[in-house]
Amino acid sequence: MASNLEQLPSTSDLTLGELDRDGAIRETVERVSGESRATFLEKAVVGGAALLGALAAPAASRAAAKSDVAILNYALTLEYLQAAFYTETERLGAVGGELKRVPRQLGAVERAHVAAIKAALGQAAVKRPAFDFRGVTEDQTKFLKTAVAFEDLAVAAYKAQAARIKSPALLAAAISIHSVEARHAAWMRFLAGVKPAATPFDQGKPIAEVKAIAASTHFIVARPKKTSTKNPNYTG
Amino acid sequence: MAKGDGGQRRVGRALGLATAAIAAAAIAVLFSSRSPSLSSVEGAQALPASSSSALTVPLPVRLRRSAAVAYWASVRRAVTARTSPSHGARAVERLATTTPEGTANLVLALGRARDRAGRLWIHVRLPVLPNGRTGWVPRRALGVYGVVHTHLLIDLERPRATLLRDGRPIFSAPIGVGRPEWPTPKGEFYIRVRLTRYRSPFYGPLAFGTSARSSVLTDWPGGGFVGIHGTDQPDLLPGRVSHGCIRLRNQDILELGRLMPVGTPVTIR
Repeated sequence: MASNLEQLPSTSDLTLGELDRDGAIRETVERVSGESRATFLEKAVVGGAALLGALAAPAASRAAAKSDVAILNYALTLEYLQAAFYTETERLGAVGGELKRVPRQLGAVERAHVAAIKAALGQAAVKRPAFDFRGVTEDQTKFLKTAVAFEDLAVAAYKAQAARIKSPALLAAAISIHSVEARHAAWMRFLAGVKPAATPFDQGKPIAEVKAIAASTHFIVARPKKTSTKNPNYTG
Repeated sequence: MAKGDGGQRRVGRALGLATAAIAAAAIAVLFSSRSPSLSSVEGAQALPASSSSALTVPLPVRLRRSAAVAYWASVRRAVTARTSPSHGARAVERLATTTPEGTANLVLALGRARDRAGRLWIHVRLPVLPNGRTGWVPRRALGVYGVVHTHLLIDLERPRATLLRDGRPIFSAPIGVGRPEWPTPKGEFYIRVRLTRYRSPFYGPLAFGTSARSSVLTDWPGGGFVGIHGTDQPDLLPGRVSHGCIRLRNQDILELGRLMPVGTPVTIR
């Protein structure tokens, strides 16, 4: 086994940006991100009082607690993305063979992460965006490469935020999720023929970099409009 | 030479046994109650207790299993639906990205296939005449996928609407359907759009647009699409009273509106 691992390449040959390049919905992605940030600050004061209270140690400032809620919402957005990705793959049932159990197992875990973070944030939680995975959830090879990229991204994102988290309780929670994401990443990388742990030390990715990577996929899109106030023009 | 080797082996064995005995004694000391422990390591008592997590972590969340699942997709780019999964196949209909009501144009996804070049195509139900037509569109022309667990059954004989969720009825109400000269079309359709807060008492407080179209009133404004809506003449229900639309009493359409998402398949029989 050790010799097999040694022979594996250190990185995947795919970056998320390579999955789709037409740039059609970049503005939408930015709008979604912008709305999330804007609404967060407003909601965090009104709806997140319980969480703020839970997070804030006696000596901690309210500003520090707000910062933690922002980090939690950031984590929630990443968890939404992962959960939606595996959920759609499992539902469509187009990924099979040795990968068949992957969306079922990882999806169940990512949905649990979503549920836990949403419950903690309450009304301060950002809303789930819409996702268009553009056929990746129906393609064996693209699915696996995207899974590697998503899990690596999640690991790097959590890692970068760890030092910014003020609340010990939230840090404990984040670490408990981070290590699970790291296990997922190792599993996906091994399935993809990439070294599970390529370097002795991992680097985190700052928010700006993570958002840029997520935006480059064009997976986050505007929710399709399904309701209108126009007068009906049906046969009656 | 042989005797000397035997002596060396004996000495080696003795040394090995002595080393093993010393190691065992050391381990015993380390793990005895009187031995130093991690708690007595210099400074360890000063370490704070570990924090409990801020999250209540649930068990892994399994997907709800149901055979009665349908998928819709939004049309992301205007595209021609074709008779088979190939750019060379005969065109069936051109699909726009929006409906006449200004909402996203949705199609019901029925299956998938790849062409010879490996491109992914999706088999979709189309909102065109003749009713019941399907076609194939490239996956890249479609956008968001949605999933619904509901299915609306329209019984023209009784006449009655029944909504199923996961195969079980959760709503049922009497309806008005098309008169014999303007029959409500039979077949497999889906809900395309939901209209609310419009100014037309004739349609009641809420209307759903379906993919079904009247095969008689083809010159009706908007193309003769069949709606499912409320009414300002509830006394006429149930019965064959409409131009093809499916009418419900206002309290019933409001209840249906609470339960039935856009994208729900509709069977009219």
